[in-house]
Amino acid sequence: MIRNSSVGGLLRRPEAGAFLGLVAVLLFFAVFGGLTFLKPAGMSSWLNVAANLGIIAIPVGLLMIAGELDISVGAMVPFGAMTTAVISGHYGLPIWLGIAVALGFGVLVGLINGYMVIRTAVPSLIVTLGSLFAVQGIVLGLTVLITKSTSVALTVEGPAKAVFGDFILGGQLQTSVGWWLAFTACYIFFVHFSRYGNWIFAMGGDKVSARNAGIPTDRMTILLFVLSSTSASFVGMSQAILYNSAQVAGGQSFIFNAIISVVVGGVLLTGGFGSVVGIFFGTITFAIVNQGIYYTDFDRNWSSLIIGVLLLGAVLMNNTFRKMALSYAPKKGAK
Amino acid sequence: MKLMKTLAWAMATTTLVASAAAAADIAVIGGSNDDAFWNKIKKGIDDARPAVEANGGTVNYLRLVNYDNFAPDVVQLIRTAISQDVDGLVIPNWVPEAEDPAIKDAIAAGITVILMNAGGADKAHELGAINYIGNEEYPAGVAGGEYFAKHGQKNVLCVNTLPGATNTEARCKGVADAITAGGGKSTQLPLPTTSFGDATAVAEAIKAELLKDETIDGVITISAGDADSAAIGISQSGRADKVSLASFDMNEAGLARIKAGTQTFAIDQQPYLQGFLSVSVLASAIDFGTSLPTFPVLTGPGIVDASNIEATLVGVEKGAR
Repeated sequence: MIRNSSVGGLLRRPEAGAFLGLVAVLLFFAVFGGLTFLKPAGMSSWLNVAANLGIIAIPVGLLMIAGELDISVGAMVPFGAMTTAVISGHYGLPIWLGIAVALGFGVLVGLINGYMVIRTAVPSLIVTLGSLFAVQGIVLGLTVLITKSTSVALTVEGPAKAVFGDFILGGQLQTSVGWWLAFTACYIFFVHFSRYGNWIFAMGGDKVSARNAGIPTDRMTILLFVLSSTSASFVGMSQAILYNSAQVAGGQSFIFNAIISVVVGGVLLTGGFGSVVGIFFGTITFAIVNQGIYYTDFDRNWSSLIIGVLLLGAVLMNNTFRKMALSYAPKKGAK
Repeated sequence: MKLMKTLAWAMATTTLVASAAAAADIAVIGGSNDDAFWNKIKKGIDDARPAVEANGGTVNYLRLVNYDNFAPDVVQLIRTAISQDVDGLVIPNWVPEAEDPAIKDAIAAGITVILMNAGGADKAHELGAINYIGNEEYPAGVAGGEYFAKHGQKNVLCVNTLPGATNTEARCKGVADAITAGGGKSTQLPLPTTSFGDATAVAEAIKAELLKDETIDGVITISAGDADSAAIGISQSGRADKVSLASFDMNEAGLARIKAGTQTFAIDQQPYLQGFLSVSVLASAIDFGTSLPTFPVLTGPGIVDASNIEATLVGVEKGAR
């Protein structure tokens, strides 16, 4: 990666457009949402949403950079939540067992997704569409079979609650915000400061050339699928602990929202271009746009319209900057 | 004399046949075995059965195996009931366009029909069913609104995670109308589809509304699951002591909150009563010719709050709630 510390250089980094989009929507809601929006309670409002989405959006984004897609995350969120609730709520077994099994299922589904993609050469959209429905079916079928209900209660106290499903720093931020920041830091290191990062970009650019260059593309693909489905299961698990309850439905919105965040964050839908920091900003942008609306005086029936227009604006801004960045050539000697 | 004897014999047999026909054989059609809601209805049917059997009748609960081939399967069950020569039929009118012809055939075959759970009073009149026993969404909303108004809430937020759906809109409208009549106001918070199923997004939206409008003193959600999110949103806004939480429908976590005092009430459509009353009303109409002037018979809204939570929890344990 080219490091450039000048202002022009910073603006041409892949995440610059995403950052400016973020600033734009933040200003928009600071004007229309007023002071409450910027107070700690208001800020936590979008940070909490961003955290849960961001934990899933980054691995989904890495898959997109590598030229793949994982939509089964939409089923993994309720799967993680329900596994935890059934094991530790319905059966009353220790919460750590529930957490371990929930994450274990995440790894398992990721392995299946990844293996299917590299073995069958069926597009990953279709493979994960299959596992999306399959996992939804398993969640509904097993839950009803075991508990005779589609909603399972769960009460968690002690360290597990404090670590995964509680509020920190003045009781406003969910613990998942901490996890999100920690995961983001790990991903930044993994993608931008280790050799694996360049492998991912190479895979998204041209998979055959990447394999010929000696990159273990199969193993990397499987690893990325494991990361995304385990992350989704993680979010489901911590939500179940926080909200003391799990439902078989829900989680579907994470599919679309994660992809939107990734694209707003400057990742190309065709793969090969993007950054973890960009996805991070994109997720915050999406969360601000979604939650900021509640601090304004706009009629709530128009929410979706405003969300759509603002997101489009953020992406256009991002694209403009990316074009500038990619077509930029340092001027050599004026005139 | 011989003629008189024959006549007497004929009358006796007729009476015998008539009384045999009068002991009500009843078929009830319901949802699948996996469906918790229909198991509560089954509990109601089972509790009504001894009375029917004591009078010489029978009750048969015909259930769908699954919902994969819904409308044809329901119609098939109605045809099965007709072929069994039952005297009475309790049927939810889920898919009117498919079920109506079969229900009309049943009535034409001399079967007395009650619509239960789905269909409504107008449909019962149209088809010639003797009653509709079930729930209606708007009155359920009104009951919620009246409860709020009676307990002093002046500004209630109705959280609608499925805006545009007829039943959820009717629930929120009922709440709003009743509170407005009581001198307060209620606004609907329609959440965009991007929030549906994301507990944190729902909780944060509710928190934001509470922070923005400090006069809000009540929150009602259109489903039991959304109330789990609302409970966190309210406590995060720091106004848990001033904001009263309610939900349409109920789940285990919600009942625990009502018991602990962090949720005020839940509105239930009381499926147990749908099963129990349908069978009892139908059997007594067939056996004894009774007719119920109340039309439709609404089994909900039933309010669950601190005053009846203990009995409700007993009902949960016995499968009736």
